[in-house]
Amino acid sequence: MMRLPETDHDGPSSGAPGVSAQAGPSSLNGSVDGLVATNGHKNGFTPLANGNSGIGAVMGNGIAKHGKSIAKVNLPGTTLYDDSFVNREEFVRLVIQTLRDVGYAESAATLEAESGYTLELPEVSQFRQYILDGMWAKAEAVLGRLGLHETEGLLDAKFLISRQKYLELLEARKPTAALQVLRNELAPLNVDPDQLHTLSSFIMCAEPEDLRRRAGWDGASGDSRRQLLDILHDYVPSTIMIPPRRFSTLLQQATTYQRQRCIYHNSALNASNFSLYSDHQCNKADFPRITTTILDMHTDEVWNIEWSHDGAYLASASKDKSAIIWRRSPSADPISTPYDQWAPHLILRDHQYPVGCLSWSLDDSILLTSTEQMIKMWNTKTGVCIRTLDEHTETVTAISWLPDGTGFISGGLDRKIIIWDADGKVRDSWNPTGIRITDLSVTPDFTRIVAVGMEHSPSFPPEPESNQTRGPQADAGAAGGNGSSSSFSSRVPHRMMVFNFATKQPELSIRLEADLTSVQTSQDSQSALINHAPNEIHLRDLSTGRIVCKYVGQTQGRHVIRSCFGGIESNFVVSGSEDANVYVWHRESGMLLEVLSGHGEGSVNSVAWNPTNERMFASCSDDRSIRIWEAPPPIGNYMAEFPILESSQAIPSTTLEKAKERTRQQIAETGTIIRTRR
Amino acid sequence: MGMSYRKYLSGERIYGCSTCKTHLATIHTMMSRAFNGQHGRAYLFDGVVNIVEGEPDDRPMTTGNHTVRDIYCIKCGTTLGWKYDKAYEPSQKYKEGKYILERNLLVDVQ
Repeated sequence: MMRLPETDHDGPSSGAPGVSAQAGPSSLNGSVDGLVATNGHKNGFTPLANGNSGIGAVMGNGIAKHGKSIAKVNLPGTTLYDDSFVNREEFVRLVIQTLRDVGYAESAATLEAESGYTLELPEVSQFRQYILDGMWAKAEAVLGRLGLHETEGLLDAKFLISRQKYLELLEARKPTAALQVLRNELAPLNVDPDQLHTLSSFIMCAEPEDLRRRAGWDGASGDSRRQLLDILHDYVPSTIMIPPRRFSTLLQQATTYQRQRCIYHNSALNASNFSLYSDHQCNKADFPRITTTILDMHTDEVWNIEWSHDGAYLASASKDKSAIIWRRSPSADPISTPYDQWAPHLILRDHQYPVGCLSWSLDDSILLTSTEQMIKMWNTKTGVCIRTLDEHTETVTAISWLPDGTGFISGGLDRKIIIWDADGKVRDSWNPTGIRITDLSVTPDFTRIVAVGMEHSPSFPPEPESNQTRGPQADAGAAGGNGSSSSFSSRVPHRMMVFNFATKQPELSIRLEADLTSVQTSQDSQSALINHAPNEIHLRDLSTGRIVCKYVGQTQGRHVIRSCFGGIESNFVVSGSEDANVYVWHRESGMLLEVLSGHGEGSVNSVAWNPTNERMFASCSDDRSIRIWEAPPPIGNYMAEFPILESSQAIPSTTLEKAKERTRQQIAETGTIIRTRR
Repeated sequence: MGMSYRKYLSGERIYGCSTCKTHLATIHTMMSRAFNGQHGRAYLFDGVVNIVEGEPDDRPMTTGNHTVRDIYCIKCGTTLGWKYDKAYEPSQKYKEGKYILERNLLVDVQ
């Protein structure tokens, strides 16, 4: 009879000797059979386990008292279920690992005994501890017995251990010993000379601080040993050294998978809405799809909207030469009116031309507006125009506060990109770009600018066919690239350009036979959402320029329409459309989720998702109004289940009638709308 | 309806509005320099951009009766010339659908 080896002596969960003695032969799988023979250290570290594990000792006693004898259960086959492909041993070992992790040491030991599977061999736990304790020679000695078959892998692992040793010696100001490691251990491993050179250069570091910074390494007392262990996991076969928290990792993957398949996903995953018992699915009824407020004060088309960062204000820009800041406040009587109350907070007139763009400072104290080539800075408390900036020579088409809040950036049809200080002083004015910029966006990580616009070709070659179109019979609209207004919009090639913010150099420049009217970079700074007229919106990868996803269904031919990301984790893409509807897609799949009607005739020009409330967004339209979209009130959910309840007569009909009545009031679109008229 | 940017022309010679420099036409679409407007010399163009057209109006002209519309700069609203909707004299039919811009209201832009 063979004792189960002690394992995991660094945790509070060592196997109980009493149990293992009764456990019967442990059937270690074939891949570790070789190791069993070398298992001579068992007694060497059993005391260690007892020494640091009070819980283990208690449990061992407990088992001894009960005198329970755990018989190994012999099961046929090797899979978890007859028809599953899950290996039973793998599953059980992961369960044992998890049980140990959370502190169910007795159960883990029992399971080991009953199944005959062990979590891991003593060498593995020894090795782990040697690394964490910085006992390099011992770690290396054990390394050879961990089943690293390829010589190369073994050398790499040795290199990583010696590298850690070397860095720690340097950190401890023992350059002589470090040099010896470099010469006698690292150099003979035939590593890349550059790498060796870099390592040797660290000897010049005068201060440990300097060393840690240059090596990108957080020191012996930091997390570096743990990180080394993580990397070493890649070299040791996972059957021998199971990656930490492996079960949890797999469950995490299941969560991610379910979350990706949850197309209406719009709530943070947490214990209350994610259960192992059932697949996660957000309720479609919680999607913001009804108009709860119409802001109706502009006297002409509303072209753009922008939420303040605190989500409490919405700024709107209109062709009527004004911008309005709207304030939302919680309803005074949430029972009768469940939605926020809205009121105009400030009306910013004093624009010579229609207002095109808006941008809030990070602290929401300043609002920028653009009107033709001018940018105006407004105090959002007082409504006073602080400054008017007149540096652009053509229409400003994009203004955006910088991610660090120190200033803002603007782009325009004059091909200029200008960086401004927060007080409106020009910090930097780039040389004209190759495009008449129609929109730009700085990545949140502050490394790139993504700009879209019309190609600019200073010397346009004369068109041979223009002679023909001069004939009397020619329709003015057919006058080629230089013809009448109606023929222009789709004829000028556009470009998407990605600039490195620091070097100002273009990293990407893609010519597109389309009108690019808006760009928004993703939260992870990896992609950009671009309106691509006619009738498409593209999500493009910023490194490769490739299209990640296309969103179609909306109409865009002639107008500037701006789309945006929305919802939790930017799960949605939203856009206006020339057909007066608002379109919502699932970002990852491109599936069209919602076509929301309500706006009057004309284009829905822009949409904006509330940054602090993932269940609210706004849209603005040629119909001069702004609509606030929210989920139906909670009672709507209740009512969604109503038909089932009714048939089973589960609740008194009077209650139902009342509920119906209230729901009718709240859900019927016109009933819920809070009109804010001048 | 809807927001749209003004058009930008490219070519060797671009005519813009003298008040606000908005691009209007290029030399490639110019059909004739031999016209007269209210401010002197005027040009006939096949295609003009960034303009707003007024209401049709019947006007007797030196070359006969025409239905024309005044045209205005889309940005600053300056009256720039007119567009021929209809020419009543058969010899003048070629002007239909074409635009007159007054030279004194134009400026070279790039």
